[in-house]
Amino acid sequence: MNIEKIIVPGELIWEQEMRVANTVVADGKTYATVVGMVRDDRFIPLELVYKAKAGDNVVGVVTDVRHAGYSVDLGLAQDGFISSKFTRVSFKQGDLIFGRIKFADEVGNVDITDAKRLPTGKLVDVPASKVPRIIGKRSSMLNVLRDGTGCSIFVGNNGYIWVGEKGNVQLSLKTIDFIVRKAHTQGLTDAVAKYLNENGGNVTVPPRDAPEGAMPPKEETAGENPLMHPAAETEKVQPEQPEVVEETKKTEEKLDIEEM
Amino acid sequence: MEKPELIKDGKRLDGRGPKDIRPLRIEAGILKEAEGSALVEWGGNKVLAGVYGPRECIPRHLSDPYKARLKVRYTMAPFCSPGEHSRSGPNRRSIEISKVIREAFEPVVMTHLFPRSQIEVYIEVLQAEGGTRVAALTAAAVALADAGIPMKDMVSAIAVGKLDGQVVTDLGKDEDNYGESDVPMAITHRNKEIVLLQMDGLLTKEELAQNLDDAIEGCGKVYEIQAAALRKTYENGERGKLKL
Amino acid sequence: MGEETKTKILREVRKDFLQELLNKGKRFDERGANDWRPVEVQKGAISSAEGSALAEIGGTKVVAAVKFGIMSPFPDRPNDGVFMTGAEFVPFASPGFETGPPGENAIEFARVIDRGIRSSEIIDVSKFFIEEGKVMALFLDLWVLDYCGNLMDTGSLAACAALLDAKVPKIEDGEIVRGEYTGGLDMKYKPLTTSFIKVGNHFLMDPSRDEEYAKDMTLTVGSVEGKVASIQKSGNAGLGRDKVLELVDIAFEKSDELSKYL
Repeated sequence: MNIEKIIVPGELIWEQEMRVANTVVADGKTYATVVGMVRDDRFIPLELVYKAKAGDNVVGVVTDVRHAGYSVDLGLAQDGFISSKFTRVSFKQGDLIFGRIKFADEVGNVDITDAKRLPTGKLVDVPASKVPRIIGKRSSMLNVLRDGTGCSIFVGNNGYIWVGEKGNVQLSLKTIDFIVRKAHTQGLTDAVAKYLNENGGNVTVPPRDAPEGAMPPKEETAGENPLMHPAAETEKVQPEQPEVVEETKKTEEKLDIEEM
Repeated sequence: MEKPELIKDGKRLDGRGPKDIRPLRIEAGILKEAEGSALVEWGGNKVLAGVYGPRECIPRHLSDPYKARLKVRYTMAPFCSPGEHSRSGPNRRSIEISKVIREAFEPVVMTHLFPRSQIEVYIEVLQAEGGTRVAALTAAAVALADAGIPMKDMVSAIAVGKLDGQVVTDLGKDEDNYGESDVPMAITHRNKEIVLLQMDGLLTKEELAQNLDDAIEGCGKVYEIQAAALRKTYENGERGKLKL
Repeated sequence: MGEETKTKILREVRKDFLQELLNKGKRFDERGANDWRPVEVQKGAISSAEGSALAEIGGTKVVAAVKFGIMSPFPDRPNDGVFMTGAEFVPFASPGFETGPPGENAIEFARVIDRGIRSSEIIDVSKFFIEEGKVMALFLDLWVLDYCGNLMDTGSLAACAALLDAKVPKIEDGEIVRGEYTGGLDMKYKPLTTSFIKVGNHFLMDPSRDEEYAKDMTLTVGSVEGKVASIQKSGNAGLGRDKVLELVDIAFEKSDELSKYL
């Protein structure tokens, strides 16, 4: 990749004022506040600290059990919280959970809802800025990963990933690592499918098809690089949420997740 | 030891001209565990910086409801000097340097985005040869960017001063001890704002003005090397490879 | 919440999962139970020290530095030089490391490596005698820069490489002449360690950080030339007599493999 296009903090992005995330405006110009790239008039951060927001999916570990609810380690400055009032499941310390952020404020409080206990599995910690690549446009990357390894995988926007014990776990871990390292490149979904097949995996899902069916041609090329697609931006991940939740429900039928 | 002649025929002890910077090598993302990291090899200095955060503020009662608390710890390893083996642990000098480095980053790190948390910067000097605090600051800036911590501007640092009546840039081995003045500075890239400024020795106002200009020029060169280091991390995406 | 509590919780999370994998004969990465992760040694990494090395095993990085000084001898050994090992878990090496003086883990780390070197008698401290009340001191510092599991073996490897790299400075008129040397340390042996963790009923060599979260117990065996030079068992669980001897045999072989990187 052309390394000259990478922009570092304090560097000029645009000669005009653009009020977008991860930038700062001064003297009528826009500068980067984090390391990132410019593609098609968008500034895409390559290194980013995760900021919790409502609607995000999270994976976490229950760290404390109190009468009012449960504290959950999400890898953030403060633990998230599952209120006893809004859950019928009872958790214990050490449980791995998958849930959704109901509410997140400016002082770091995070309320989690729809929390489900995950069975025995491996917790992986990845930089939150790479999560959109691991999910992919309309979960395309995640599907390839699950299909190629036979593993159940739940991805939290907070950067925690759960990999279930069935299937080729080591290949899942290696591939997640591969995606994180190559997150800034194009054609990654194809590269990952190839990587999986070369390493004992078995990818049958054609990487570029979205579960929904055909996409308009313009989006198809954009689909090759989720970094370019609005859906891949951390702040606009909304369109993918329903996709991921549906996947969750499907896999849940196969596993024995305790509920109620 | 007798004071050496620091400038002879326009050349310094190591052959440099007055404005020449010692060889400077910077690498980012060289540690696996730290969220952001950087190695600076500047002349005979070898400095490592590692960053964690924003994460939980400990102790709780020191957390700020409106912004992240910035913590900087600068230390020198007991084996960093070619002379005597020193005691490990913080001393008065390292505590002062930790403070001025932290204050250099306060105006640029966007702490208001992460209330009630803390951002920690740890700087370890493994090998020292004049200008360790500016090498440390330069490393810390790269480590913060590597960690994805938003900053309004990038900070670069350099030590300027005076040797044998001549104003010079990047004081090296023996120059900071035997020179007539030592002026470490840190400057932001786009605003050219001075965020760290110290001096010792004696300077006329004109000499100081020259020093300030030379430092701005010198920091511009340092910035290019910092930026190149951050860009290079994406060349092959490999993190956690350290070569000293 | 504190890192220690978090570690306890993650320990349980990983333990049952790792045991499932181990029952099928696999580890998180693709190694066998007794395989080293990638090893790298860079000698002479720190030029301000008289001997140094950066050692890396699977991501874990330790810098060892040797420096010489002059001190008064210990009262009970007036004719012997002094050999001291210090260690620091640099706070950026792991999210769980805190600032402050060395804790019990850092102290144990330094002392176990020190014992392995001392008991092999590879440094002849009687050679360090200068004059009455003055002896040469050898300071060995172990600086942990990146913690990805198995600090002990990485530390021993770094220490050994640094000692091999070390040059003894010249002494003139009872003072050290920096920059002039009389030769190396003439080490008879290369003291290295091999560490194992116990997870349920399985024993794994060279544990990664993830695997260490699941451990019940660690056994470190230091060896030189087919003899046991140090042993340290840490952790809460126990192990049987036969197991100890079995691990010692594996350690002899594994430390030998490691010595090829020196």
